[in-house]
Amino acid sequence: MTQYLRDIYEAVTSALKGMRITGKHVVRKPVTLQFPDERWVLPARFKGFIINDVNLCDGCLRCAKVCPVDCIYIETMGKGKDRFMHRYAVDYNKCIWCGLCTEECPTFACQHSLDYDHALYDRRRLVYEFVDPARPVPCHKERRQQMGYFVEQVAAAPPDPDRIAKAPRRADLPETAPGGAEGGGA
Amino acid sequence: MQVMTDLFARIFGDGLSPVGLLVAGGLTMALIMALVMALCAIVFTWAERKVAGFIQSRYGPMRVGRWHGVLQPVADMVKILGKEDIVPQDADKPLFLLAPFVIFIGSLMAWAAIPFAPGFIAADLDLGLFYIFAVSSAATIGILMAGWASNNKWSLYGAARGAAQAVSYEIPLTLACIPVVMITGSLNMNDIVIAQQGGIWHWHFLHDPFLFVAFLLYFVASIAEVNRGPFDMPETESELVAGYHTEYTGMRFAFFFLAEYANLFLVSCVATAVFLGGWQPLFGPVFLPGLVFVIKAVLLVLLQMWLRWTLPRLRVDQLMHVCWKVMVPLALICVLGAGIWMLATGQTG
Repeated sequence: MTQYLRDIYEAVTSALKGMRITGKHVVRKPVTLQFPDERWVLPARFKGFIINDVNLCDGCLRCAKVCPVDCIYIETMGKGKDRFMHRYAVDYNKCIWCGLCTEECPTFACQHSLDYDHALYDRRRLVYEFVDPARPVPCHKERRQQMGYFVEQVAAAPPDPDRIAKAPRRADLPETAPGGAEGGGA
Repeated sequence: MQVMTDLFARIFGDGLSPVGLLVAGGLTMALIMALVMALCAIVFTWAERKVAGFIQSRYGPMRVGRWHGVLQPVADMVKILGKEDIVPQDADKPLFLLAPFVIFIGSLMAWAAIPFAPGFIAADLDLGLFYIFAVSSAATIGILMAGWASNNKWSLYGAARGAAQAVSYEIPLTLACIPVVMITGSLNMNDIVIAQQGGIWHWHFLHDPFLFVAFLLYFVASIAEVNRGPFDMPETESELVAGYHTEYTGMRFAFFFLAEYANLFLVSCVATAVFLGGWQPLFGPVFLPGLVFVIKAVLLVLLQMWLRWTLPRLRVDQLMHVCWKVMVPLALICVLGAGIWMLATGQTG
């Protein structure tokens, strides 16, 4: 009988105790960020979408070769000094964010950006082009010097966080739409 | 209803016969009550999500409408109206189509005897309280119909649980109201409210200790009666998907939701009228009776939501234990105690 009464007492008091706790949460400031309007401050080395800075890239193909899922498409034409890269594209459908390309890149052209939201209506639009085919990027050292591209090899210097932060965001990247813009557009 | 018939009498003069007046007044009141139900569903779905959000340190809906997602229920409505009305292949079709409306009608009928303000009551029945309990239990039939007709094991389990729960908890629910009836000497909802006039210390839940316990019992039993957490056994989404309305889509699903939130408000209205003084303000003379009534009922609804998002769900055997071994004996003790109190203090019903 005493156990019975104690159970009733405990049921009532524990319910009140629980309500006190949840009541405290009501007056506490919510932890939610209103995502598209507010964003988390990301660390400088955040593994976001892979980007390529074509001013630094000399088309050595190391990233494409090391990529385990073959998501980097590089097309070049010409030979020797007249070798130009007219396509550097990353297929984010395939990319697994392993970061091997960024580790392999001798010029730190290929880097993780701080970009992570690429909701699109059409998966074909997830192939991002970095080189304007009308302005191919020279690959040979001398030609790069002539045309004012970056030449020196950076010896194991850590990537500049500011440069990553300044990485092109989605709106800056040229959109690729192999099948036109059907899919509703993004 | 008196208000409405008087209004129509003033508008049409002698143009309407007494029967015509009665029909017109009744239809208008029914329309108002249906609108109140729809408003309940709209306001309380939003409120529920906001309460749940803030209790979990979130915001809840924020994007639809300018301020705190106030238009979220409207967006939900539009979405739900655009959904396909699916009837499962092996369902018992007539029962399946009928069930949501049985639940809805059971809830709508009970609204007739709720006294929102002096004279503003759809049907001023002498057996008002009895009528409310009798009619609101019709929802059990709807639950059973929905569960059976869906031809789905989750629905059937949910319906069986729902019926067992509703039938069990109606007993403490009704027993908890009996002391009030003894004191008032009437089952008429208007009389019960009028008996509580003159400030908060005249309200029934502060009448004597037994009535306070009776009020708590009524509150707990009413949560169970409308199948909400921590007593939401018929819907247990973690084990039964959605219980008896698993198979429902679109408009029919919306009717279940409508009835759920209308019932939530209904039991709070009954508690307000029976225990918390109805339209009587905390002290002083009666002012804005309808608003006072609705504020009290809404506060009770918020309390129920608070409880729902605080406590974990009970097991089925615990549910039955609480009802039959705790609440029914306590309610009987309350009836006895209130009677002895009345004898001792020389009150008569």
